[in-house]
Amino acid sequence: MDLHGKESPVWLVAGQDVAPFDVRPLIAAGTDPFSELMAKAESVASGEVLVVDAPFNPSPLRRALAARGFSSWGRQLAEGHWRIHFRRDGANGWQDGAEFQATPEDAAVWREADGLHIDVRRLDAPRPMLAILRLIDGLGPAERVVTVHHERMPHFLLPELAERNWRLAHCVESTFDLRLRLEREG
Amino acid sequence: MFPGAFPAGAQDRLLPASIPYRFFGTAVVLHLAAWAVLLAAAGEVPGFAGGLGPVLAALHLVTLGVLAMTALGAAFQLLPVATSRALGPDWACRLSWWLLAPGVVALAIGMGTGWMTALEGGAVLAAAGLVVGGSLMARTLAGVPGLAAITRPTWLALAALLVLAGLGLLLVWDFAAGLLPDHVRVAAVHGLVAGYGFMGSLALGFSTVLVPMFVLGQPVPDAIGRRCAALVAAGLVLAAAGALAGLGWLVVLGGTAGLAAAAMHAIALAKVFKGRMRKRLEPFFRLLLPGWAVLPVSILAGMALALGVPVARLAPLWGFLMVFGWLLTVVTGILQRIMPFLASMHTAAAGGKPALLSGLTARRPLDLHAGLHGLAIVLVAAGILAGSPLLVRLGAAAGLAGAAAFAAFAIELARRYRAHRLSSLSSSSSPLATTKDVRP
Repeated sequence: MDLHGKESPVWLVAGQDVAPFDVRPLIAAGTDPFSELMAKAESVASGEVLVVDAPFNPSPLRRALAARGFSSWGRQLAEGHWRIHFRRDGANGWQDGAEFQATPEDAAVWREADGLHIDVRRLDAPRPMLAILRLIDGLGPAERVVTVHHERMPHFLLPELAERNWRLAHCVESTFDLRLRLEREG
Repeated sequence: MFPGAFPAGAQDRLLPASIPYRFFGTAVVLHLAAWAVLLAAAGEVPGFAGGLGPVLAALHLVTLGVLAMTALGAAFQLLPVATSRALGPDWACRLSWWLLAPGVVALAIGMGTGWMTALEGGAVLAAAGLVVGGSLMARTLAGVPGLAAITRPTWLALAALLVLAGLGLLLVWDFAAGLLPDHVRVAAVHGLVAGYGFMGSLALGFSTVLVPMFVLGQPVPDAIGRRCAALVAAGLVLAAAGALAGLGWLVVLGGTAGLAAAAMHAIALAKVFKGRMRKRLEPFFRLLLPGWAVLPVSILAGMALALGVPVARLAPLWGFLMVFGWLLTVVTGILQRIMPFLASMHTAAAGGKPALLSGLTARRPLDLHAGLHGLAIVLVAAGILAGSPLLVRLGAAAGLAGAAAFAAFAIELARRYRAHRLSSLSSSSSPLATTKDVRP
């Protein structure tokens, strides 16, 4: 899966002067900032940009705002700090221009320093499992680690991983994000 | 960050293994009992027109003992995962089994022997067990946004459950009190609500999640699930009204709606198959596919029966095709896939490397079961049509041998599961134990 070579969109400059809405303190306090974000998005005019700082790549939010006509572009500024630019432009084919790749199940796949990441949060069963297995089945032997962003323990996935010689090595739970580290065995 | 409420954290939704497996184990045992009773009563099958006796007992050992038992065990484990909603307390799941399992046994004894105390007590216990189980399912479904492909048929199944339980109790009391003006018509409605309404709708809803999961294909669109459930509901109301009023054309109208729902479901699953990631179909599909093929045949048999087509012994054929030919075939197919699947999940939850499905599944008994079960369906159906107790007896013997092979598969699964658990006891701690991210 080629996840390199995507250049940031030209509209990103429009967000340079926009003050980011930092939701990290809210999430750290266990508060879901979704309704507040939706209220802010409502006030964004066509062609304008909303900038959000988050502790992780908020794929479910990006899908939800895409349904309301927002394209988005994200980048990791530091560990635990993502900045997402949302632009109200109709969002037609927005995933083609985004920095991640979308699977047929609508999961987002991107690369970080520790390897591939896939976000399957807010996908209906059995789409999370399909997206993860599709990713794993398409990887070359050099790819040995995948980090899954989930919202619940994917029990049904574990037998399928074992059949493929992969295993769940570790889980880290934070607010709104259960991160599962999958490793290739052998 | 999330549209809608966030599910209750990443909390474990895996039930203790003892809950689903007590239902599955009971289903395996009562599967054997059902074929054994049918074998003993083979002479009465071709002309069976209802009433107390071993044939009715065998029928209920399958419907309540195998089909409903498996449905509850599977629903308790699958619904919370599919819907991301908590199921309810474990004790309520266990209570459901403690009511249903002895209830089915007592009911079957009462039906087989005419012992009214066992019949009435068993009926009350079984109905209570189903209502407790249904309430747990309803609690899980309540407030689930979307997922209409599974929630609509399941709601329909739960509504049918209330009707079939009420009618079942009425029919049982009627054996003693004789208060119904037409016992046979009410029994027909009870049968079609139980078969097509409760079990059929559950099979419809669950297959929209299970089949894509097992072939690794895209799920059935919610719109299809909504339309299918609406057609099944309309078909049930029309057919039940027609059966009660003795209006054959109304039953045919209902059957037509049922056939349309079956066709829509088949087309939706064909699309799932077409885009599947797992190209090789697993062995359990050799039961699932022919099982679903029997559904329209059973509906056509029911329609012919309602129109008064002068085919001898059409009533027992309709019941046999619906319960044994369609539902039992599909449910044993599902059961042979989910039993090792859940076992593998539990070995993973216990720590160490999960047991491989291929390592847990004994293929030979399943091969035997598939062959013998298919032979049993053909022979018994032919025996009913030909009025031949010998053919029915041969078919029931094949069914009993198939059920024994299925039991051997279940026993071997339990043995391999325990062996894996013991061998992995000394392994590292479970990776499912999450650590909290303390990053500010």
